[in-house]
Amino acid sequence: MAKKGEMLYAWTNDAALAKKAECGGAVTELLKYALESKTVDAVLAVTRGVDLYDAVPVLVSDPKSLDACAGSLHCGTILLSKLVMEYAPKMAGKKLGLVVKGCDMMGLLELAERKLVNLDNIVMIGVNCGGSVSPVAARKMITEKFSVDPNTVTKEEIDKGQFIIEYEGGHKGISMDELEEAGYGRRSNCRRCKVKIPRQADLACGNWGVIGDKAGKATFVEVCSEKGAKLLDGAVKAKKLTTEPANPKGVEIRGKVENAMLKLGDKWRKHDFEALAPALWETIAKETSRCMKCGACIEHCPVCVTRADKYQQPDLMIRHGFIPADPMFHLRRFAHISDSCINCGQCEECCPSEIPLALFSHAIRTEADKFFEPKLGKSAYTN
Amino acid sequence: MSEITSTLKYVPTTCPYCGVGCGLNLVVSDGKLVGVEPNKRSPINEGKLCPKGMTCWEHVQNPDRLTKPKIKKNGKFVDASWEEAIDLIAKKFKETSDKYGPKSLGFQTSCRTVNEDCYALQKLARVGFQTNNVDNCARICHGPSVAGLSLSFGSGAATNTFEDVLNSDLIVMWGSNAVEAHPLAGRRVMQAKKKGIKVIVVDPRLSATARLADEWIRFNPSTHIALANSMMYWIIREGLQNTVFINERTKGFDDLKKTVENYADCEEIHGVPLETVKSLARQYAKAKNAVIIYCLGITELTTGTDNVRSMGNLALLTGNVGRPGVGVNPLRGQNNVQGACDMGAYPNVYSGYQAVAVADNRAKMEKAWGMKEGSLPDWYGSTLTEQINDCGEVVKAMWVLGLNPVVSYPDSNHVMRSFEKLDFLVMQDIFWTESCEYADVVLPGTCFAEKDGTFTSGERRVNRVRKAVDGPGESKYDWEIIGMVAKKMGLSGFDWKTAKDVWDDMRSVTPGQFGVTYEKMEKPESVHWPCPAIDHPGTPILHVGKFAAADGKGTMFGLEYRPPAEVADAEYPFTLMTGRVIFHYHTRTQTDRAKQLHYEVPASYIQINTIDAKKLGIKENEKIKVSSRRGEIETLAHVSDDVAPGVTYMAMHFHKGANTLTNTALDPLSKMPELKHCAIKIEKIAGAK
Repeated sequence: MAKKGEMLYAWTNDAALAKKAECGGAVTELLKYALESKTVDAVLAVTRGVDLYDAVPVLVSDPKSLDACAGSLHCGTILLSKLVMEYAPKMAGKKLGLVVKGCDMMGLLELAERKLVNLDNIVMIGVNCGGSVSPVAARKMITEKFSVDPNTVTKEEIDKGQFIIEYEGGHKGISMDELEEAGYGRRSNCRRCKVKIPRQADLACGNWGVIGDKAGKATFVEVCSEKGAKLLDGAVKAKKLTTEPANPKGVEIRGKVENAMLKLGDKWRKHDFEALAPALWETIAKETSRCMKCGACIEHCPVCVTRADKYQQPDLMIRHGFIPADPMFHLRRFAHISDSCINCGQCEECCPSEIPLALFSHAIRTEADKFFEPKLGKSAYTN
Repeated sequence: MSEITSTLKYVPTTCPYCGVGCGLNLVVSDGKLVGVEPNKRSPINEGKLCPKGMTCWEHVQNPDRLTKPKIKKNGKFVDASWEEAIDLIAKKFKETSDKYGPKSLGFQTSCRTVNEDCYALQKLARVGFQTNNVDNCARICHGPSVAGLSLSFGSGAATNTFEDVLNSDLIVMWGSNAVEAHPLAGRRVMQAKKKGIKVIVVDPRLSATARLADEWIRFNPSTHIALANSMMYWIIREGLQNTVFINERTKGFDDLKKTVENYADCEEIHGVPLETVKSLARQYAKAKNAVIIYCLGITELTTGTDNVRSMGNLALLTGNVGRPGVGVNPLRGQNNVQGACDMGAYPNVYSGYQAVAVADNRAKMEKAWGMKEGSLPDWYGSTLTEQINDCGEVVKAMWVLGLNPVVSYPDSNHVMRSFEKLDFLVMQDIFWTESCEYADVVLPGTCFAEKDGTFTSGERRVNRVRKAVDGPGESKYDWEIIGMVAKKMGLSGFDWKTAKDVWDDMRSVTPGQFGVTYEKMEKPESVHWPCPAIDHPGTPILHVGKFAAADGKGTMFGLEYRPPAEVADAEYPFTLMTGRVIFHYHTRTQTDRAKQLHYEVPASYIQINTIDAKKLGIKENEKIKVSSRRGEIETLAHVSDDVAPGVTYMAMHFHKGANTLTNTALDPLSKMPELKHCAIKIEKIAGAK
């Protein structure tokens, strides 16, 4: 019986899936098993849209459909947590499985805190995430820094501090540091992120720490909850999955990779926050003075929930129909999310006015967390 | 994705609003539209949307949608079958054409609907009725761009892409409030500004875009030519023109030089201090790469075509055409205003701007469309508002697809009176509009979320529109409706089964778009026309090395300033300018049905200057009476210094609003009515608060 805290190597027994998926295909197999065993009624997964730069969410209940969702898309920057709330209301009372990056997981935890999702009905298979690159930025980076036509790229990965592409005619890797110094690379919120292994999910999976003959052929799985342990045991018992204890050396290496990522996160926080500090008000005022009130920062925020009667309220500080939005449009939002911004970056990435919103709210939260007791109780995570 | 059975479906498509052509995902759950999600893969907007784009799904499933054909019987609209409606239309149009000839019919198509619909309607007009009386609403937005840029550069379209402003050293936005009217093109300017590229906004009004600028130059409304001529005088006087470019790539310099000699200082016309004019001239001429972005502030005037040519003059004089970071870019207003023109829904050209006056073109189309030799007309058809003016006398029957002329054309009262004179009017739309009241038959079409097709954006990129859900009730694809009438009349060549069939029909007769296939539009990069061959990559930047004109040259013109047709006087002492707000689109049939958009701007208003308001004793938000020689309205006063004394501004979105006041006077070259300038008076309403 797997136990919370246990670390394993796992791989699928389905040869076809193993070929298609990455690192042993354990994640896809676990989700398939979750459906087959009726542990969940549906899985919210991500698949490739028009090409590998296009990540598209799907809600499936047929296990066979999941094969097409195997593999990672580092240029997919979608956040699944708000989708759970918005587009899966028909799931009420039903059970849902999904793969979560750190931000997806934090978003779900925050929504649960607000009683907007019920975690009892959710199985989270966590995956390590070193950060993601917005699709258009990735294509530009591949064109300009790799001198490769992005349409010829067949595979991309982030490994050992490098962004690596395979394309028709070769493969190439460039260090993330070099790319990011030059203004390319991961989204800036990802650079600051410190939830690289989502341990508040039910299982935390990834390729960090898989060494020896299993390298590339197995998935590292850390059991994070009883629910996760049960799913894993069931899949093994049903002969869908094989596991073995993780190589202690591999566990150590995984820890080192995570630590290196966390240090890098600290470095970027120092870089971004210190630059903001001396002219904080002015910068916020200047940047938000372009706001066209599209509402994306509210709509796509997993911790921003609006009132149903918001348009019936008298407005004293924000003029109707006027852009740029009056300052309170932003101030009230920063205040609303002050102790729960998860730094998922959606507000900033979806902002048509190029306002570094995640930078502001992430700075507010991390500074506040260091000084105040949280009013919603302590989060299960720290970021 | 074919291997996946998902109950949540993302359908990548194109925003139905402005001409930027943003990509977005419509989200479908169990056959119902449930929202919009970012399409971050789109190179146009990278997932970002404006307030309209964010809410563009909300009207689609509104219970007010038209679901059945309606026929007016004894003064009342009653539901009818498609068969009855189609029979009646075919019969009435045939009768009218037989009795009064091809000029008695008018066909008007929308720039809001897909290319396929526009192509289909002009094909029906030409094949079924041998008439060139077919036009689209580009006539009242960028008609002068098509005319003016064709004269200056040989092609009536934007020269460079939206993103290309990032390669510029100076951005001059002239009569463009992009932040509100084309927000995601505005975003490119914001990005440029963040990069340190200087932005100058030339506008009579402190618009949202002017607020963003490094420098805002206020000038008197509709004095573009005087200001541009003055700039060019100083450019030439100080020897800042690009002589190499002028000699190698242009003609007409002497004509221009001679004309601008009278414009050394004309502050009394345009109101800009001489030193500011000189500084603007120097900055534009000296920038390594300078781009002009303009919009309806330039075009919607009786000097529209000359205003556009003045922008062309500036660019040609300084060599700012034909490479990255430069150019002259009209921001096309509507999602498919470029496309509607490209499709030949125009009274003097077939698709791809093939002139009807050229015998070879007519012969080619007759052959392609299976028509008798010599049957296609060579005459210049009647334009959009000319058709309105001719209602009753000349035009007896009209078919209007996706337009709301009662609200969007100048002089609403005139439009309503004209419609009443028609023998027969067909309105094809998705909602019951103010104009439907005047129809004999109202047909339920399908909206962007319910059909396949294409929109061509302002940067000549052909973007796919993909069907996400079925249309409501008995509504049909608009090209399908047109095809039904054609088939009823026994015409061949209208047997399209899919939107792609219509597109391929168009491609086969349109050299400049032959290479733009649905397959090539699969990825969101798609293709910018011209794209003459299947293996052609498309043309993001026009006029590289050679202009599109027949002689390969750009042409400069000596153009004299002319005042607008109606200027403020003692009786009507204020100038009215019109424009858009970010929260609404055109006549609001779609946007007012989105909660946030209605909340932001629920009613019409007029901006007036604080000094004028004080003189008249008018307070902020007071209901006031505004009138012109053509009509009067009541609206709310917004008092500020955003407009100069004597100048006012209204958005064009509201019924019994701006267009009750506007003037129908036409630009002689493009037949553009003077929507942006008329004289009004403002009065207090006794007892109003």
